[in-house]
Amino acid sequence: MRRLSILVATATLVALQVLAQPGGAPSAGPALTPVTWERLVNAEDEPENWLMYSGTLDSQRFSRLDQVDRTNVGDLELKWAYQIPQLDRSETVPIVVDGVMFITEAPSNVVAVDAATGRQFWRYNHPLPDDLRICCGRNNRGVAILGETLYMSTLDAKLAAIDARSGNLLWASEAADYRSGYSKTSAPLIVKDQVVTGIAGGEYGIRGFLDSYDPENGERNWRTYTIPGPDHPDSQTWAGDSWRTGGSPTWLTGSYDPDLDLIYWGTGNPGPDWNGDVRMGDNLYSDSALALRGDGGGMEWYFQFTPHDVHDWDAIQIPILADLEFEGEERKVMMWANRNAFFYVFDRETGEFLLGKPFAKMTWAEPELDSNGRPIRIPNMEPTAQGVLVSPPVGGGTNWFSPAYSPQTELFYVQAFDGEAIYFKRDEEYVEGDQFTGGGQQYNLPMDEYQSSIRAIDPKTGDIAWDYWIQPRSTAGIMTTAGDLVFSGTIDGYFFALDAETGEELWHMNVGRRVHSAPMSYAVNGQQYVTIAAGNVVYTFGLRD
Amino acid sequence: MRMRSLCALAAPAFLIASLLAVAPATTHAQESENPYTTRLDVRMGQRLYQQQCGRCHGQDGGGGELGPALDEGFRNASTDAGLFRIVREGIPNSQMIGISRNATDQSVWMVVSFLNSLNNTVDVDLPGNASNGRQLFTGKGNCSGCHMVSGDGGRRGPELTAIGSRRDPDELRASLTDPSEDVPPRWWTVRVTREDGSVVEGLRMNEDTFSLRIMDENEALWSFLKGSVQSHERIKTSIMPSATDTLTASEVDDLIAYLFSLKREDI
Repeated sequence: MRRLSILVATATLVALQVLAQPGGAPSAGPALTPVTWERLVNAEDEPENWLMYSGTLDSQRFSRLDQVDRTNVGDLELKWAYQIPQLDRSETVPIVVDGVMFITEAPSNVVAVDAATGRQFWRYNHPLPDDLRICCGRNNRGVAILGETLYMSTLDAKLAAIDARSGNLLWASEAADYRSGYSKTSAPLIVKDQVVTGIAGGEYGIRGFLDSYDPENGERNWRTYTIPGPDHPDSQTWAGDSWRTGGSPTWLTGSYDPDLDLIYWGTGNPGPDWNGDVRMGDNLYSDSALALRGDGGGMEWYFQFTPHDVHDWDAIQIPILADLEFEGEERKVMMWANRNAFFYVFDRETGEFLLGKPFAKMTWAEPELDSNGRPIRIPNMEPTAQGVLVSPPVGGGTNWFSPAYSPQTELFYVQAFDGEAIYFKRDEEYVEGDQFTGGGQQYNLPMDEYQSSIRAIDPKTGDIAWDYWIQPRSTAGIMTTAGDLVFSGTIDGYFFALDAETGEELWHMNVGRRVHSAPMSYAVNGQQYVTIAAGNVVYTFGLRD
Repeated sequence: MRMRSLCALAAPAFLIASLLAVAPATTHAQESENPYTTRLDVRMGQRLYQQQCGRCHGQDGGGGELGPALDEGFRNASTDAGLFRIVREGIPNSQMIGISRNATDQSVWMVVSFLNSLNNTVDVDLPGNASNGRQLFTGKGNCSGCHMVSGDGGRRGPELTAIGSRRDPDELRASLTDPSEDVPPRWWTVRVTREDGSVVEGLRMNEDTFSLRIMDENEALWSFLKGSVQSHERIKTSIMPSATDTLTASEVDDLIAYLFSLKREDI
C-alpha cells in the first residue's frame, strides 16, 4: 500500500508534464500535483481548481474566478463536450486539479480528461453485481481527492480508492451489504486525514450512518449511526423495533468547518417513507442536520427539520457555511434550504436556531416555526389510503440540488419548486433488500401547471430578494461567481446565467437534455471555463477567443 | 383533471411478501403467454407495481419524476413476454432497473397484467352505432377536420387511431360533451403579441423558459423567443366545441361507439 508520505513528494518529482491527446497541441499543463489537506482547507485561494464536490469546505459553490462576468457572459461559447458512454442522466459535478478533470459516470465509473480539451487520459470502470438495490437511478455525483488518490462511492455500497494518475484501483472497502438495500452515490468529503462518506438506501429500510475511512488503506476509522440504538435515550423516538429499519440515510456530501472541527451532514427520510404508523415518535435523527466532531464523529448537536416525517422530505441538502453579521452580531452560520420548503439559518457552533421561513409553496405547517424551529403542523396532512393533497410534493420545495451563496451579494440561491401532490399510504412489511416505502405520491396537475424558480434569499431576514421563473421546472444545482453571475439549468435542457444581484437573465444555451447536476468553474492557462453535465454529456464553455 | 381511481386494495401485506419470497426468481419466464390475468391478478400486480415501480412511473402509471407514463402504450415491448423481460431485467444502459430479485415469476406476470390493464379498456355493449359514428366523424361532426385517424384528418387535435384502447366510453363522453373541462397542456392555446402589436394565436406545441412553439389555425408552425415578443398568454380552454352543439344525443352515442371501436390491436 502506498504511503501518504509519497504524496508529499517535491514538486520536481510530481511535475510530470502530460501531453494532450493526439490531434491537439501539448498544453502548458496539466501537471497533477498532490492535493494536500492544506490545499483543500485553502481551496478558495486557487480558484483555477475545483477541488471538491461543492468547491470549498464551506460548500458555498462560489467561484472566485471573474474573467466571465455580467458584461461578457453573452460571449460564452462551447469549448468542448465529453460524451459519457452510458445512456443515463448524469448527476456528476467534476473536480479539476491542475488542468485535469475527473468526471464520474453512471453507474460507478470515473474518467480523467484534459480540462482544456476534454480528451481522455484514463477511465476506471467499477465492476458491479447485476442485482443492485437502487431506488432512483444509477447515479454517481462525483469524487473526492487527497494526495494523488480519488475516492468514489459505488452503487454496491463500496468506497473505492483510485490512483489519480493512472486510474488504477488501489482498494475498495465495503461499507455495507448492497443486498440489504445499501448503496453509495455521493462524493465523499475529505476531512483532514479522513475520507468521510455517507450511505443511501432510505427506501429499503436500512439503518443510516456516516463513515470515516483511512485514506491509505480503506480501514474504517469511525461510524456514527443516524438512528440511535436502544441503549441511547433518543431511541425512544422510535416505536418498538422500528429503529432497525428506519432509514435516515446520508446520501449527499456535507460540509466542514476546520476552525470548529465540525462536520455538517444532512440525513434522509425515516422508513417506511409514507407510512409513519409503524414508527411513531419523532424518529431521531432522520431529516436532520448533524454536527459531528471531526475527530471521532461524535455528535456535537443536531437539528431535526421534520419530526416524524411522512412525506419523504429528506434533509439531504448541502449545508452552506458563512460568517455573517446577524442581528448586529458576527455569527458563524449554517444556511439550509430544506425539502420541507422552509429556509433555515443556524449558529453552526452551537446549533442555535436563528431563523426559519418558507421559501416555496407549503401547506403542511404554519408559516411560523416555533421558537426552537420546530414546525407547527396543520392537521390532516398525513398520507391516507385515499390520498391527501399537500405542498410541497415528494420532490420538495427543493431537493438535493446544490444551492449557492455569494459573499459579494450576500444572497443565498436555491432551486425552488411550487408544487403539490396527492400522498398515499399503504401497509407494507419489511423484507430485507426490497423497497420499504409504505405509499407514494401522484401529481395532481400536469407539470406545466406548476412553477420552478431560482430564488435569491437574504439570509439575514429569510426574505426573497428576487425570483427567476423557470418553465416547466428545474432540478439543477447552482453556482455563483466573482463575476456576479448565477449559473444553473432546466429540466428541458437549458443552461443559463443570471445577474447575481438582480436575477436578470444574461445568457442561455440549449444543451439538449435535462440538467440534473450542478455547474462548476475552473481555469487552465488563464482561461476561465464553466462546466455542466446535461443528459449524458459534459459541456464546457469559455469566452470566445 | 382526470385521475385514475387508485382504489385502496384490501390485499394484506403478507400476500405481497409471499409473492416476493416463495420461489426463486428466474431471469426469463418459462411461459411466453401470461398465465396470471384474472382481476385478482391485476389487483395484486397493481399493489406490487405501486411498491416497486410507482416511485418512478407514478402511482397510477401516469408517469412520474423519473419514468415515463405507462398508460399510453409501451416504448420497448410489444408482447407480454417482452413486458415480462423488461419488468424482470430492466432496460440495459438506462435508468430502468429490474424489479426486486426476490420477486417470483408469478408476481412479475401480475405486474404485466396490471400494466396491460392501463392500456386496454374493457369491451362493453354500447347504445350507439359505430358505423354511423364513423360517418359523423368525417361528416356532420367535422371531427376529422382536426383529428387524424389512420393518417387521415387534421392536425389541430389529438391523434385518435387507438383512442379506444386509452379511453373508456365515459371518458370519451366527457371529452365530447365538455371538452374544456380537462385540457392537457399540449392542447392549450397561446396568444402571442409581437413587438409590432400583431397577434399570432395557436395550439401550444411546446414551451420552455425561453421560447415557445405553436400551430396556428392554418396548421402553420411558429416558434418565438419569449424575449422577442411583447407578451404571451395561455388560454387553457379547448378549441373544440361541445359535440352537443351540433349532434343529437343518439348521434353522440354513435360517435362514442365509433371512437371506442378504434383499438390498438387494429393498427
